[in-house]
Amino acid sequence: MLDLKRRSRRTGLTPIALALPLALFILLCLSSSTFTSLENLANVNSQIAALLIASLGQAIVAISGGIDLSVGAVMGLTSAILVTVDPSLAVPLAYAMGIAVGLVNGLGVTFFNVHPLVMSLASMTFVQGLALLVNPVPGGVVPGYLRTLAVSEPLGLPAALFWSVGVILLAWYLLNRTRFGLRTYAVGANPASAQRNGVSAARHKVACYVLCSLAAVTAGIFLTARVGAGDATMGAAYSLDTVTAMALGGVQLAGGAGSVLGVVAGVLTLGLISNGMNLLGISPFLRAAVTGVLLLAAIGLQRREAIGA
Amino acid sequence: MISFHNVTKRFGSNFALSDVSFDCKAGSVHALTGENGAGKSTLMNLLAGVFSADGGEIRLRGAPIAPERPADSQRLGISTIFQELTLLGNLTIAENLFLGREPMRRGMVDRAEMRTCARAALARLGSTLDVDTFCGDLSVADQQLVEIAKGVSTDADIFIFDEPTAALNAPEVEKLGELLASLKAAGKLVFYVSHRLEEIFRFCDQVTVLKDGAHVETRPTAGLDRDQLVSLMVGRVLSQFYPERPSGPPGGPVALEVDRLQIEAGGPQVSFSLRQGEILGLAGLEGQGQRSIIRALGGLQPAVAGAVSKHEGSQARKLDLSVVQTVLAGIGFVPEDRKIEGLYLPLSITENIGIGMLRRSSIWQMARTRRDVIASLMARMEIRSTSARQLVGQLSGGNQQKVMIGRWLASGIDVLLLEEPTRGVDVGAKAEIYALLRDFADNGGAVLMISSELLEVLGLCDRILVVRQNQIVAELEGSAASEDEVMRLALTGRAANLAESHA
Repeated sequence: MLDLKRRSRRTGLTPIALALPLALFILLCLSSSTFTSLENLANVNSQIAALLIASLGQAIVAISGGIDLSVGAVMGLTSAILVTVDPSLAVPLAYAMGIAVGLVNGLGVTFFNVHPLVMSLASMTFVQGLALLVNPVPGGVVPGYLRTLAVSEPLGLPAALFWSVGVILLAWYLLNRTRFGLRTYAVGANPASAQRNGVSAARHKVACYVLCSLAAVTAGIFLTARVGAGDATMGAAYSLDTVTAMALGGVQLAGGAGSVLGVVAGVLTLGLISNGMNLLGISPFLRAAVTGVLLLAAIGLQRREAIGA
Repeated sequence: MISFHNVTKRFGSNFALSDVSFDCKAGSVHALTGENGAGKSTLMNLLAGVFSADGGEIRLRGAPIAPERPADSQRLGISTIFQELTLLGNLTIAENLFLGREPMRRGMVDRAEMRTCARAALARLGSTLDVDTFCGDLSVADQQLVEIAKGVSTDADIFIFDEPTAALNAPEVEKLGELLASLKAAGKLVFYVSHRLEEIFRFCDQVTVLKDGAHVETRPTAGLDRDQLVSLMVGRVLSQFYPERPSGPPGGPVALEVDRLQIEAGGPQVSFSLRQGEILGLAGLEGQGQRSIIRALGGLQPAVAGAVSKHEGSQARKLDLSVVQTVLAGIGFVPEDRKIEGLYLPLSITENIGIGMLRRSSIWQMARTRRDVIASLMARMEIRSTSARQLVGQLSGGNQQKVMIGRWLASGIDVLLLEEPTRGVDVGAKAEIYALLRDFADNGGAVLMISSELLEVLGLCDRILVVRQNQIVAELEGSAASEDEVMRLALTGRAANLAESHA
């Protein structure tokens, strides 16, 4: 426990962030008989896998000191591309689009000094418009191989579990074992200091935005394949949900602190609340309202000095 | 090893450096000194790749170099220990030491190697800090030590130390001296940028003096004495440095009465009084509680218990210690970090001073500031600027500090609390600030200050309270106190004649 506290400078983790999903899990076990069924748990996993993938990308940007609200729009455009472009080109094209959006966001923030919120709101609006232009009405056919990747059950386990574990390992390796990860924390804490230590802060930030958009494309691919149809607006809720999830997990919006474990905990919290409300028959619209309150609470509870108050 | 040839650097239309030329030899410690704004940091920043020169040439072993980024300069074998701390609080000591040049193994950061090297680098400075500690959890002195360890852990030939001792205590400065000697013995060239004369004489072989961006003199330190060096820097003799104290004993009425002030629950209590017309100094080692006391009086840090009353004429008024209350009661606070806690850097001198005049006016009143008052204040304080509309962020450290003090003078306060009144202020402006403070006291004001520069406390204060472990251990007469006596009290809490056992 002491180490958790000491390391929170880096991870932003608090006991509450970790206890919250556990408490929710226990609460749901007690209050709903269907919650613990394997079918429902697999369902929860599928529901939150896309959020997890996108939130890990968001967390990387946040640790580097930025924020990316274009995540949802990128997911939407990915979905639109998948059902309109030739199946063999769809995935490469979607990733190329992700790189382009990430570059624009990153370059705007670093070289043109646009505030990340403004920059990514602008690109969100632009990309969302583009997505609706490509695919105005939900529908279309998802390439078969993607469908298989998202809904098959190898070894009797849901595909979503493999996607989740894969991105968790990847993000963990990136943040904790590579030079890139260490420098992300450094740039987020103080770009000028990092610069003086020979780290190119601007280039590094651009790379973080590109990674975030790539994660959003991946989340978009998974979600489209799982739903089985294209929908240009399917990412709409994700821009803020990713921010809420990672903030719940202790990732500091001011940069420099955050952890993969925290993001997982935040995503689980959000996913369990959503699933629980569903099982208990509470209106799905209330879910959005609750997410708003959670976002405020999570950011309000962040370290005071970190948010500059 | 390094030679500068007519090096010139402009910022806008101002020459920060003009035609600076001198040579430095390998295997020596080369001091660089001069007033703030003299251009010594600028010169070192050219070498460190933070700025690039506008004219002239820097040669490394005869070959011209022009580093454009800090990384370029590191590649050339130049390692810089910057004046501002560049450590990142969310990285461990080991990670900070190797940021930008992380040892790699099989595509991953080699943490074991990093820790081993970090421990070795700290050991050279006699430090046994745990290399897994996050730098944000370290004291300022330890951070400075880590910063130095970082600089010398690189495999460089040239080392730049920019004001390395600002936050260090005596034993650590001693260790730094040993380190410098070992670098010298290894044939390295060390640049030592400092205001502190005693360190220049102790550590350095050569000294280069810059003034207003121009080269004044490069000489071996052996043939110089203090007064000569200071007059090279400012053209002034040292004995005029501190203003004269008033002749009689400080007998003015009490201005501020501090009664059993307690900073931490369960901690010791301090009581003292500050008189009109005197400059009172709190002296002691770094982190012994002087800062907390003055911050509590300024309302910036909560105190647990105690009463503080301000006397005006025959009336005594008890104060709630909050910033708003203390300012309304006529107590001004000059923080150590004026850039963050005091000044509005993007605003003009007029606005920065004028805000003090509005101290007692209501929020809906028209914000009228008296330009004539500001102009006369600026003239009296000798604030050097292009005009009263110049932005404070563009001024030198000394002039910024004068603006900070000027704001309080304009607001008509009668008690002034100062933290490190001359940190980052050049020698010439220091003397002017001392004169200002004395003048303020002579006109009935009361000054309470803390400073890590002991000589400043000794030279300026009428009375000195020595603080050790959050307690006042002694009260000394300013004119009679010696450096030795204060240090002994600060270190041991006992006076000289009782301290034989500590020798």
